[in-house]
Amino acid sequence: ARRGTGTEDVGKTDTGDGKEKYRGLKDKRLELKKNHQKEELKKEVDLEDHKLSIKELERKYGTNIVTGLSSTQAAELLARNGPNALTPPKETPEIVKFPQADGAILCWIAYGIQYFNDKSSSLDSVYLGCVLALVVILTGIFAYYQEAKSTNIMASFSKMIPQQALVIRDSEKKTVPAEQLVVGDIVEIKGGDKIPADIRLLSTQGCKVDNSSLTGNLTPSLRTHDNPLEAENPWNKMSTSPVGTATGMVINTGDRTIIGQIASLASGVGHEKTPIAIEIEHFVHIVAGVAVSIGILFFIIAVSMKYYVLDSIIFLIGIIVANVPEGLLATVTVTLSLTAKRMAKKNCLVKNLEAVETLGSTSIICSDKTGTLTQNRMTVAHLWFDNQIFVADTSEDHSIFDQSSGTWASLSKIITLCNRAEFRPGQESVPIMKKVVVGDASETALLKFSEVILGDVMEIRKRNRKVAEIPFNSTNKFQLSIHETDDPSDKRFLMVMKGAPERVLEKCSTIMVNGQEQPLDDSTAEAFHTAYMELGGLGERVLGFCHLYLPADKFPETYSFDVDTVNFPTSNLCFVGLLSMIDPPRSTVPDAVTKCRSAGIKVIMVTGDHPITAKAIAKSVGIISANSETVEDIAKRLNIPVEQVSKRDAKAAVVTGMELKDMSPEQLDELLTDYSEIVFARTSPQQKLIIVEGCQRQDAVVAVTGDGVNDSPALKKADIGIAMGIAGSDAAKNAADMVLLDDNFASIVTGVEEGRLIFDNLKKTIAYTLTKNIAELCPFLIYIIAGLPLPIGTITILFIDLGTDIIPSIALAYEKAESDIMNRKPRHKKKDRLVNAPLAIYSYLHIGLMQALGAFVVYFTVYAQEGFRPSALINLRVEWEKDSVNDLEDSYGQEWTQYQRKYLEWTGYTAFFVGIMIQQIADLIIRKTRRNSIFQQGLFRNKVIWVGIASQIIIALILSYGLGSVSALNFTMLRPQYWFVAVPHAILIWVYDEVRKLFIRLYPGSWWDKNMYY
Amino acid sequence: MAKKEKKSFSQCMAEWKLFLYNPTTREFLGRTTKSWGLILLFYLVFYGFLAALFSFTMWAMLQTLNDEVPKYRDQIPSPGLMVFPKPVTALDYSFRVSDPESYRGYVDDLTKFLKSYDLEEQKNLTACPDGALREQKGPTYTACQFPVVSLKGCSGVEDPEFGYSTGNPCILVKMNRIIGLKPQGKPRINCISKGEKTATLSTYPSNGTIDLKYFPYYGKKLHVRYLQPLVAVQVAFNTTSTGKEVTVECKIDGSPNLRNQDDRDKFLGRVVFKITMHA
Repeated sequence: ARRGTGTEDVGKTDTGDGKEKYRGLKDKRLELKKNHQKEELKKEVDLEDHKLSIKELERKYGTNIVTGLSSTQAAELLARNGPNALTPPKETPEIVKFPQADGAILCWIAYGIQYFNDKSSSLDSVYLGCVLALVVILTGIFAYYQEAKSTNIMASFSKMIPQQALVIRDSEKKTVPAEQLVVGDIVEIKGGDKIPADIRLLSTQGCKVDNSSLTGNLTPSLRTHDNPLEAENPWNKMSTSPVGTATGMVINTGDRTIIGQIASLASGVGHEKTPIAIEIEHFVHIVAGVAVSIGILFFIIAVSMKYYVLDSIIFLIGIIVANVPEGLLATVTVTLSLTAKRMAKKNCLVKNLEAVETLGSTSIICSDKTGTLTQNRMTVAHLWFDNQIFVADTSEDHSIFDQSSGTWASLSKIITLCNRAEFRPGQESVPIMKKVVVGDASETALLKFSEVILGDVMEIRKRNRKVAEIPFNSTNKFQLSIHETDDPSDKRFLMVMKGAPERVLEKCSTIMVNGQEQPLDDSTAEAFHTAYMELGGLGERVLGFCHLYLPADKFPETYSFDVDTVNFPTSNLCFVGLLSMIDPPRSTVPDAVTKCRSAGIKVIMVTGDHPITAKAIAKSVGIISANSETVEDIAKRLNIPVEQVSKRDAKAAVVTGMELKDMSPEQLDELLTDYSEIVFARTSPQQKLIIVEGCQRQDAVVAVTGDGVNDSPALKKADIGIAMGIAGSDAAKNAADMVLLDDNFASIVTGVEEGRLIFDNLKKTIAYTLTKNIAELCPFLIYIIAGLPLPIGTITILFIDLGTDIIPSIALAYEKAESDIMNRKPRHKKKDRLVNAPLAIYSYLHIGLMQALGAFVVYFTVYAQEGFRPSALINLRVEWEKDSVNDLEDSYGQEWTQYQRKYLEWTGYTAFFVGIMIQQIADLIIRKTRRNSIFQQGLFRNKVIWVGIASQIIIALILSYGLGSVSALNFTMLRPQYWFVAVPHAILIWVYDEVRKLFIRLYPGSWWDKNMYY
Repeated sequence: MAKKEKKSFSQCMAEWKLFLYNPTTREFLGRTTKSWGLILLFYLVFYGFLAALFSFTMWAMLQTLNDEVPKYRDQIPSPGLMVFPKPVTALDYSFRVSDPESYRGYVDDLTKFLKSYDLEEQKNLTACPDGALREQKGPTYTACQFPVVSLKGCSGVEDPEFGYSTGNPCILVKMNRIIGLKPQGKPRINCISKGEKTATLSTYPSNGTIDLKYFPYYGKKLHVRYLQPLVAVQVAFNTTSTGKEVTVECKIDGSPNLRNQDDRDKFLGRVVFKITMHA
């Protein structure tokens, strides 16, 4: 059902589900404001000034188009409206980014209670509190530093050269900084300038504007339009004017410009939580759940075992500390930034570290066409003359079409002469295709084409001096110039014309075939139309060319041509040929699209271009695959009306902005699920946001590419916004999470690959980190239940978590993929979790437990060999810890003082620590793969793993032998043989895991696979 | 908005119920009976195996041990000093002469401790020559007699109240047993009162000598009924002094290989205790 006009409709549907979108926001007022803002955006920007006459404008802004504003007026306005600059987006206060120091505070509270109970209580809890606080602060600083580093890279992007503007004030031309422009200023713009503010054009001379950063289109729209974004007049700030000169009146400055409005809107669109952030949160919930439930369980056990409540509380803290992987935050950050660095090398600059993984879970990519899929430069693709279509491939050998025909000679002359584009001087050594050209995209293409085929164009133009010219404009739709010929004997003038083919043909009465002029009859006209349709159907921009030799008797050499009165004929010309141009797809794109497809990623093209062009490009890059058809294609093939075609038969769909406007969200959902290949054409930038939201309703992780300012809301809304580094505007880069430095779609695919790899590797890292938690927790539980002297202290645990384990867990980030990760479906946001039940269970209850047993063997060995047999240790805790007992008898009748026992306890800590460390080496090796055998993966392929293992051993050696005498650290020098006690257990862990992987490989889908594969 | 949350809560409950027991798939806590059976069986076998393995490694480790002597004695190179009666919390003895109940615990403790030093108990022990280490080669090891009478008034023979009833309390000082320890020189326990001279200390045997014949010790299993040498300290408060409180420090002296000074270990070769006597 249609409801009102399209734009309104869009606005309405958005308010409808607006609440849901901002469910998380507590501040309703803020929500309303945001909705309001967004609605405004979707209602399109409302500017009326382009419809006013100059007189009305002068009145409205209190200015004069000849004399300009007076300096005092300008100063006044500047003071009132502020400078003509965009307000930078607000940054989150840095201190907020620091995580809170819960653990440390808990410890200090515990010490407080302890101190009240017994003034002489040891300072252990205080040390622990300090260490925990330090850990929290350091990891915070570290994460912040990493973030800041990538933000700095961005900051360098946004630095722009201060802009100057030529303005008329007090009837004088003045150069002022663009920031000082005020409403009502009359500015002059030259070719190549950036438009300094929103201006209303007053007069122009062959001046075109490139609004692409606003509309997303390569070519400036030439139609007069009700929408100010697409209207030819006014021009918007940030647009550039490639050719000509113009004067205009400033109608909006600073944040009130269209670009300013969009930029502020972009910061209003809430950024969704990244998938990896959700996963980490989920993981934290699991760990916290385990820690708190075990903690409370043992609190109850401890209390019922008649421990003091205070002691029980300290046990509770100990259990929680043992369970929290303190080093994980730093590890994840480093892992992500390592990948970010790797991606930066491949031209993906990641602004937001978490976005690294987001790209890996991407299931839909909404890609721009221009610049991303295509090369963003027009290239001549086809020629039609002598009733034949020729392929022009300027990138290869160009003599593929017949150049002997006389028609070609004439056509090439028109192409060369009827062209205002020029090479910027001083580029002699640059290859033709890379030379910088002053001129618009089509003319540039023609210039380069003729330069490649004919040689020095400027020389040819010099020989054929131009005497008159009518530049292209949107009403004429043709361009005309009159030249002297380079044949000295021929005194005639040559008039050349190019333009929209149908317009050009109208002006012709003859057509040139094989160099001969023939009357234009119905059959040749028919041939022309067929060729025109065919080339147009390829999505190419077609131009028609014709010429006329003006008779020397009527137009002698001295004749003065006047382009205003047109004192020369512009009809009955001779039609020469057609030429079509296209912005060709980047060569790497089809391959990248195929890769995306095999990786289960849907690629949707969203473009402002014409549907035919969009479809043609989509087909050529594989977004619409060769064998799939749209409903329209089927209708055409079967020769039946579109309505009769079963929608099930069509895999692809091309949807225009107009159609999209009339769709309800449900219809859009249906469209997005029903078709696997979708192209959105002629979409307004605002609709991009609607498409992104539609995709997100399908539970998809959406990546959006964009370069224009208008894309920034969509970039923000997307799960991952990807801005173009070369063509992208600063606003887009600001809103994006990632910047493609080479603007190449293929780089996204590399990013996806890295993102998926990092997800897998993070899984491994977390599995590795979680394992030892059980080995750290068990001693505590045994200590409470069986009353053994404490096997491992909290500070020692921290030395594992933040010392020996850090580098190895980072090393897992360097692990290569086990299989082709690009042949997998993207992970389901809600089903494929980073930490799933098998991972937690296998880490905790299998490997973790084995590790705990191994470490206990080392612990018992140390105590037994020093005189305390395992049987003697049970229920020894109370006596052992009493300060007043200084003659505790061991199994051999020897007596120990309190300090001697304490020292032995530290040796026990060190032994347990070494036991865990040795088995963590095995754990590290088994975590290299989840399915494949280690020997398939290669034990030595990831060298960093070995660096990790070495670091583990070296840190442990330093702690034991180097810092063994520092009593606060609770380490002692351990006998060398104790380092090897846990080795059999380590080997057992390896063997067990190999068996697990073997069964998983042998019986995929079996009970074993389901329960043991994480 | 509130409505939505409520709904999601009831949904949440329903999900939980379904998780607890799903009648359609007959799943209990997300698993069918068969699946639960399998998983329990697996863990039974797996943990059984782990338990067996752990027991085996522990057994193997215990095989490396010697029954008589611990493998290493490096952590107790030098003995600590300990006093009797056994202190409850800190080394702080406090009693009232007029109230026998206040020192009954101390007396009982001393009596109990000295029981093994009873003449009857020492009947079968060897009377060893004084002044020399008594190294033995085995296979049987004999223990030397310790004449309790050398403790004089603190032996409990003459005064079963150990001087507490008369206001001259006895404290016994002993040196921790360490297997194989051979003191050099002439070890003795030297006790001094710290701070104000509020009391005079008498040590028995005279000079606090510890005879070398009690060393070395060969361990609980070989050296059955070994008696460690004791030194008694008797406190006599000055009648003039008002405060009946004294802090006593005892140290091992006269043996270069027995340490009596360690910053961290306050009991290594020394012991400090306080006696407070009320009227």
